[in-house]
Amino acid sequence: MDSMQHVPIILVALPMVFAAITVLFRSKSGLQKALNIGVFAGLFVMSFSLLLDVWNNGIIVYEVGEWGKYGILLVADLLGAGMVVLSSLISLMAMIYATDYMDRKALDATFFPLFNLMAAGLNGIFLTGDIFNMFVFFEVLVLSSCGLIVLTGRGDHTKMADKLEAIFKYLILNMVSIILMLVAIASLYATVGTLNMADIAVKIAYLAETGTLPWHIHVIAMMLIVVFGYKAALFPLHFWLADVHPSAPAPIHAMLSGMVIKVGVYGILRVHYLIFHESMFMLQPVLILLSLVTITVGATSAVGQYDLKRLLAYSSVSQIGYVLLGVGMGTAYALTAAMVYLVNHAIAKSMLFLATGETLYHAGTKDIRKMGGLVQSAPFLSIIFLIGAMSIAGLPPTGGFFAKLVLFDAGLGAEYYIPIGIALVFAIFTLFYLFRTWLSIFWGEVKEHDKEDAFKTRNPTIAIKISLALLACVVIFLGIYPEPLIVLSSTIAEQLLDPQPYIAAVLERSVR
Amino acid sequence: MTTLITKTVSKACVPIIILFSISLLFAGHDYPGGGFIGGVMFASAISLLYVVFGLKYIDSIYSYQWDKWFASGLLLASLTGFGAMLFGYNFLRSSYLLASLPLAGDIKLLSTTLFDIGVYLVVIGSLLYVFKGTGEDE
Repeated sequence: MDSMQHVPIILVALPMVFAAITVLFRSKSGLQKALNIGVFAGLFVMSFSLLLDVWNNGIIVYEVGEWGKYGILLVADLLGAGMVVLSSLISLMAMIYATDYMDRKALDATFFPLFNLMAAGLNGIFLTGDIFNMFVFFEVLVLSSCGLIVLTGRGDHTKMADKLEAIFKYLILNMVSIILMLVAIASLYATVGTLNMADIAVKIAYLAETGTLPWHIHVIAMMLIVVFGYKAALFPLHFWLADVHPSAPAPIHAMLSGMVIKVGVYGILRVHYLIFHESMFMLQPVLILLSLVTITVGATSAVGQYDLKRLLAYSSVSQIGYVLLGVGMGTAYALTAAMVYLVNHAIAKSMLFLATGETLYHAGTKDIRKMGGLVQSAPFLSIIFLIGAMSIAGLPPTGGFFAKLVLFDAGLGAEYYIPIGIALVFAIFTLFYLFRTWLSIFWGEVKEHDKEDAFKTRNPTIAIKISLALLACVVIFLGIYPEPLIVLSSTIAEQLLDPQPYIAAVLERSVR
Repeated sequence: MTTLITKTVSKACVPIIILFSISLLFAGHDYPGGGFIGGVMFASAISLLYVVFGLKYIDSIYSYQWDKWFASGLLLASLTGFGAMLFGYNFLRSSYLLASLPLAGDIKLLSTTLFDIGVYLVVIGSLLYVFKGTGEDE
């Protein structure tokens, strides 16, 4: 038990240590690969044991530096620990995949340190109990992901000029959103005088009880919706995603679309459901409306795309709309559905992106119209791509089926008939554009005969096959036996709607 | 910039700036100072050398790999945090030792000083890595 106590901080600090070590041992490529796969496997095991520990023994609070009552806390509740398990799983698979996929030059230069820092940023965001630290980890995440997007891999047909343009957009817009977050946090601090999220929640609840809640709390809540909505690519703020994500190499694309946009959803779930109870009555309709527009815009944009990576990026925009629809509806069942959808989409989408990277390498182009008949030369990739597409479109026996089922069931139960109707129509769009893509890539005639010899030398390596196959197993498992995920999600939803245990765990602890 | 006057003045100034930056580093926590400010001052001293004498001349004497400084600083700072765990405390818990050394007299030896030195190296390494990298770019 004693060694388990340090797991939250190890999940954040260990990748930072290895970011430093991988800079020092840059030239030894083989050692680097083995070391990093080992580290990420270790992080995955630790995060899983943390989740089990939280499930069995309740919320774990870790005081960094033992500063007493006013110190910096890491809080691992079911939501945070669950997100860490998800991010460690995806980053482990992306890491295994990247060791063979990325260019040797990229691996030797900056890939490993930045990937480690990105993992540290993600774990930090999910585990911190302090809203200012959340801001700091957002910065770590943004800066490291900027450096990762410019790296090149073998199936990467993006020009460096396009990458730099995408980075410029990503960096500038992120800085704007992050300054907005800083302003919101500063106003919150000026109002309640604390940065600890549980403490803020208690004070705002007290202000609301006595009827002296200042009006600008609602403004702060809306500013934070903008910040997190920007991260999650909510409708008016989704425009950057289709430029930035496709510019990244496949493993980073999988991390960005799989995990990094989920950070916005996590932010809304954590901050708004914990702190801004009083503002949710006006934010929920806005969230539902915007998420429906997001679904519509993402799906219709994806239908018109012929660039495979851009198509899937627009698909991510559309799918994050479904997650936020669940978050916006806000009943316990809807939040359960949002969590189930989030997990399924994260795993299936990152698998689809990893498969896409390899497909693009195999085909030698990123234009769907120039591909065809790849099922003969790449049967493995076609199966993986099909499983991913089925899960995103919501067909059994994959996890996506239950995600959509639970979400629509929750919507109908809460009598949101029109939103669910719209979501259902665009779910059919999803089915259409994903299967049209799959059919035109893998079925039909082989389009470029002169490149057939090249296909034989461009097959996925063992590491790439392993990571894809493991993710496919997870997707199928979630489709066949979704019970553990649904039970976990419904417990998370209960904790979100009743944050008293979280507040009690943070505030009523023994202080040295 | 490479006139005789600037060369002579910077030869005299750079050691003083570096000494002052180290004194700022150790003054931290109780007085204004600390790893960040000290590191920025050290980096400005070295960048003065780069500007006055030119990159090639400095590199011909000794080619510093500033990224290694950055990495070792990050390693030192984070291992200080892990060090507290060895003694059964939480991450980054600080402690101090009152020691009387010959010549220095009674001083407090703080474990956070190690963390500050790590920050110092990270700041120096990252600033000069960027400075040198943009300077080398044709």
